[in-house]
Amino acid sequence: MINWNYQLLSSRHIDLNIGDFRKSIAIFSEDERLRACIGCGGCTGSCTAAAITDFNFRKLHTLIRRGDYTNVKNEIDKCMLCGKCTIICPRGINTRKVVIAIKKYFTE
Amino acid sequence: MTHFTEYFRPFVIPFTIGAIFLFAVIIFKYAKWFVQLEKEDKKIFWKALFSKATPKAIVTIVKESLIHISIFKTNPLLGYMHCSLAFGWFLLIVVGWADTFHLTDGESAPLFVHIFAKYYFPHPQLGVGSVFAFLMDFILLVVLSGVGLAMYKRFKSRAMGMKRATKHFWGDKFALAALWWIFPTRLIAESVTSGIYDSGSFLTNSIGLFMAKFLPLVDLQLPCWWIYSSVLAIFFIALPFSRYMHIFTEIPHILLKEYGIRPKEHISSIDNFQIQSCSRCGICIDPCQLQRDLNINDVQSVYFIRDRRHKNLTNYVMNNCLMCGRCGVACPVDIDMNTLRLNSRIDKFNSPAEHMYKFIEDFKPSLNSNKTKIGYFSGCMTMLTPAIIKSMKHIFSKSGDDYWFADENGGVCCGRPMKLSGEKDAADKMIEFNKNLFLESGITTLVTSCPICLKTFKEDYQLSHIEIIHHSQYIDRLITEGKIKIAKKDTVFTYHDPCELGRGSNIYDEPRSIINKIGKLVEPEETKNKSLCCGFSLANNHITFVQKQTIAQSASKIFDKTGAEILVTSCPLCKVAFKNNAKLLVKDISECVASQMI
Repeated sequence: MINWNYQLLSSRHIDLNIGDFRKSIAIFSEDERLRACIGCGGCTGSCTAAAITDFNFRKLHTLIRRGDYTNVKNEIDKCMLCGKCTIICPRGINTRKVVIAIKKYFTE
Repeated sequence: MTHFTEYFRPFVIPFTIGAIFLFAVIIFKYAKWFVQLEKEDKKIFWKALFSKATPKAIVTIVKESLIHISIFKTNPLLGYMHCSLAFGWFLLIVVGWADTFHLTDGESAPLFVHIFAKYYFPHPQLGVGSVFAFLMDFILLVVLSGVGLAMYKRFKSRAMGMKRATKHFWGDKFALAALWWIFPTRLIAESVTSGIYDSGSFLTNSIGLFMAKFLPLVDLQLPCWWIYSSVLAIFFIALPFSRYMHIFTEIPHILLKEYGIRPKEHISSIDNFQIQSCSRCGICIDPCQLQRDLNINDVQSVYFIRDRRHKNLTNYVMNNCLMCGRCGVACPVDIDMNTLRLNSRIDKFNSPAEHMYKFIEDFKPSLNSNKTKIGYFSGCMTMLTPAIIKSMKHIFSKSGDDYWFADENGGVCCGRPMKLSGEKDAADKMIEFNKNLFLESGITTLVTSCPICLKTFKEDYQLSHIEIIHHSQYIDRLITEGKIKIAKKDTVFTYHDPCELGRGSNIYDEPRSIINKIGKLVEPEETKNKSLCCGFSLANNHITFVQKQTIAQSASKIFDKTGAEILVTSCPLCKVAFKNNAKLLVKDISECVASQMI
């Protein structure tokens, strides 16, 4: 393969062959504003659960949007729904609603 | 039985069937609900039945079910409408019964004789009889005026102080039509009989004689009584399945309420008494800020309770509510709207939570190593408003009270936001963690800055040995005890009552007492238990953040009118809401105190 002399971190790969976007689309339909996310991380910075665990809501919903559903159920259950992220969000995303939507689609 | 055959006429059949059906259904319903009540509730009931609560409840029943005093407070004309229909009809029955008792010389007669007395005793009466005839006509006129007002209200609700009336479903409309026709058909039937015999009083007599001029009244008499009897029957049969079930259910509802039996966090039989005593009057619609600011017209408590009663409650109606409690304050029947909404959500969304929050077992919060008597729990939301924490630290150090900051290095949420979303089991995990934390710390007083935490600590934690107070109460106490000194200035403040602190925990006086000590307080238009919600409530997950801001902006307008310099609140969530959406400078009560301490 030709070396184009640039690299892409493996964590930034989006593999469309593996990704399953059905749940992502359903979650988007619950709050369309989620598309406006700029990934600032305010939600994670203000998070009650993140203060005492490695819970990272920005990472979690970014991965879901990419169709990567590894370990979502265990991670989302760490959220305490206190709602600080919703108030912090500079893009007006109802993150609390997104969390509940994620819980809904990832509970068997 | 001799009386029965003597009095029986075929036109009483519809009425008799309707009345028997009505009372059979009602007795069946109440018996079923009572049997299904929980054991503890039944115990409370039997204990309270022979206590002072019973006469007190009877007084309330007369005041509310018949005279409708609390609706008079909302709007006098609306009160008159409800009072004339309910109390008027009641008087028609009672006075009618006394009238028949007098006419039959105290002999017992079947029920239908009392109802259709005019038919059985059509002749003109003298003395006491004429007084009764006058009374019956007068009361009927009052009731008819009520019906007229009710019809007028359907088309022009604003005239009765209601911006919006309830949109009813077909079943209610059907029953409503039957109710409206009862009194006009009664008037016509009585007038026709009066016209034939030249009896009755000012109303029926004059209408009767007038009709006699051009109508064959003798032929019309029986058909008129048939129509009246049939309309009654239709109403009686529709009653148990429509909103008019409230007429009877209000009585056990008030009784149970006086006994202290109220809905719980899980759905139970007591909910039936509350749900079916809703008359769908729609008084709860106007206070709703979703209606006022966002034009959302289909989620208010009246629709929530209706849908729950008819078992077609949708998630949309259930979840689209700020749970501010303004509708509950306005409700003339005093239904626990928030508890009913909460237990519906828990019933629908609660799921097992054994696997959840394993990590909190390993979480080591700051421990009360100095064994202080006072604990401070700022709460999640206060973490977003560091000015409150800073002010509280300043106040603590000035007062000389040693305290333990329970969630300085991060804490576990109090559990109420989780519960508001219906996940009670998950909330209980957090509650258990925090409860153990407080019990092990050995504190005797727990101060919190967040009214949401305050309400949960008080209601769900069962911390009987720990006094739980809000920071406004704590600061007020410090000032009264002279532990902190304040320099009074002539700044003009206005105060916003947070929902969970005011309506939720009944704390209105302490914040006001503090403000009067630091400056001058001007009250906004809607205050205390009628105060507005800031809109940022965690209970509503349905509306968007922009819509929440719209509510906040609209709510802040009443503070602009006061002419105050600073808007004071005592809830971190209200502070955040108003900070970005109000024209005034917004401060928490602790900040105001901290900046004026000597």
